[in-house]
Amino acid sequence: MDLSSNKPLAFDLPLNTARPLIMHIDLNSCFAIIEQQANPLYRHRPVAIAAYNSPSGAIIASSYEAKALGIKLGINVRDAKLIYPGVIILTPDPPKYREAHKRFKKILLRFTNNVRPKSIDEFEIDFSGSQVLRNGRKLEDIGLDIKQLIKQEIGDYITVNVGIGTNRFWAKTAAGLHKPDGLDVMDAGNARDIYDTLKLTDLTGINVRYEARLNALGVHTPLQFLDKTSIFLRRQVFKSKIGFDWYCRLRGWEADNVVWGRKSFGHTYALGQKTTDKQVLSRLLMKLCEKTGRRLRSSNYIAGGIYLSVLFENQTYWAKGRKTHSPIYATQDIYLHAQQLLNQIIIPAKVTNLAVSVYNLVPACPWQASLFEGTRLDNRSLADTCDEINDKFGEFVITPAIMMGMDNLILDRVAFGGTNIIN
Amino acid sequence: MREIINEKISVVSIYSSKKRCFVPYSLSWQNRDYKIGKIGFRHQIKNGNTLHHIFECVDNQNTVWFRLNLDTKNLSWTLEVVSDGLVE
Repeated sequence: MDLSSNKPLAFDLPLNTARPLIMHIDLNSCFAIIEQQANPLYRHRPVAIAAYNSPSGAIIASSYEAKALGIKLGINVRDAKLIYPGVIILTPDPPKYREAHKRFKKILLRFTNNVRPKSIDEFEIDFSGSQVLRNGRKLEDIGLDIKQLIKQEIGDYITVNVGIGTNRFWAKTAAGLHKPDGLDVMDAGNARDIYDTLKLTDLTGINVRYEARLNALGVHTPLQFLDKTSIFLRRQVFKSKIGFDWYCRLRGWEADNVVWGRKSFGHTYALGQKTTDKQVLSRLLMKLCEKTGRRLRSSNYIAGGIYLSVLFENQTYWAKGRKTHSPIYATQDIYLHAQQLLNQIIIPAKVTNLAVSVYNLVPACPWQASLFEGTRLDNRSLADTCDEINDKFGEFVITPAIMMGMDNLILDRVAFGGTNIIN
Repeated sequence: MREIINEKISVVSIYSSKKRCFVPYSLSWQNRDYKIGKIGFRHQIKNGNTLHHIFECVDNQNTVWFRLNLDTKNLSWTLEVVSDGLVE
């Protein structure tokens, strides 16, 4: 029963007593465990993956051994080494993680075609109507089979958490109960017991701000949260439909069966050498535009808007977006608009982060013919030809002249939430 | 300690039709032969049209880790990185 689009119900909704058919699978400490799988010498040792292996590089993943020592996500390499000088610091290897993601997905597709990647390390599987359950097999047994196949086909060091529930929220909550190698079911029979062991911030989607909002209205535990009425959550706590979604979610009814479409393409760069020099920024901007453009074109979209944001060392930022009259397709189009935005900035301090994105996406096919088709003002065919050459001979074989000598700047990264490009 | 090498090296590899797998068996680097032990992970990368197979493996003594790159265009092996597992 999907209640996500329904109007708030007037009656009290009970806990969902249906058979749990949603499975959530989560690869533990994804990047770190894949590195430990790849290098047996690093196994059972604290490993942290940092965006850059420099003192101020941020840790983006850490192994269970590192987490146990207090090396958590977001701290920098310097602090990680202060906590434990023996920590192994590695930089990300995106192709390796993408390969693991693909193999992971391939295994899951053997059981049902209703597999949805939530991020590079998380999958949701809906077994409703699935043939594998027709012969009376339990979902827990399928979970054990999946764990076994992952060990055989991705690596013997890889462990995953499996959670099973009647909705995505219960499945995700169950997956987090016994890390690093758990398999749990959350249903109407044990939901209250599970909530009793959790804090509000243990619930996916509740962080300190929502926690403060709930606390202010006398809700301090998940059980108190569960026992509140839909009207209370909708009108007093969240003051929107979100309150009703939480009311359903906490009771095991589906509120998250939503597929979000692609809204934008973009790229961000944290500057290794912070600068105020606009020429240097223009070069970086061009590379960001080229990467954004490549992804835009390979996904067969054109854009109708551009957004530039710049973060400064003094913790201030500048951001501006604008719709464009002409469609954005070629890298030059993106760069032209982005550079115009960059020219508007009065730089108050050294720039630490630069980000470009394009939005208002529409499919590139059918293509509106341009008045300038076939002339030198038609940059679509030039962009397509450059892409073909780069596809054949390697990335950045043909680049705008402004990007010369920038091969190792702005590295390949894995977007945590986005798996569209991988899949 | 991890060290970037990027040197062409000699590798003996085997293909098993039964297991349907291709793996490096031994390698020679700096006048020393290493027999490959465990393959930790294998993945592929594409550089333009050229497919590269990356094998990350340890020697059979479990003392040295290698990252090997097989270029499928010219069938050459490159030793990209080695590590003894120690912290820098």
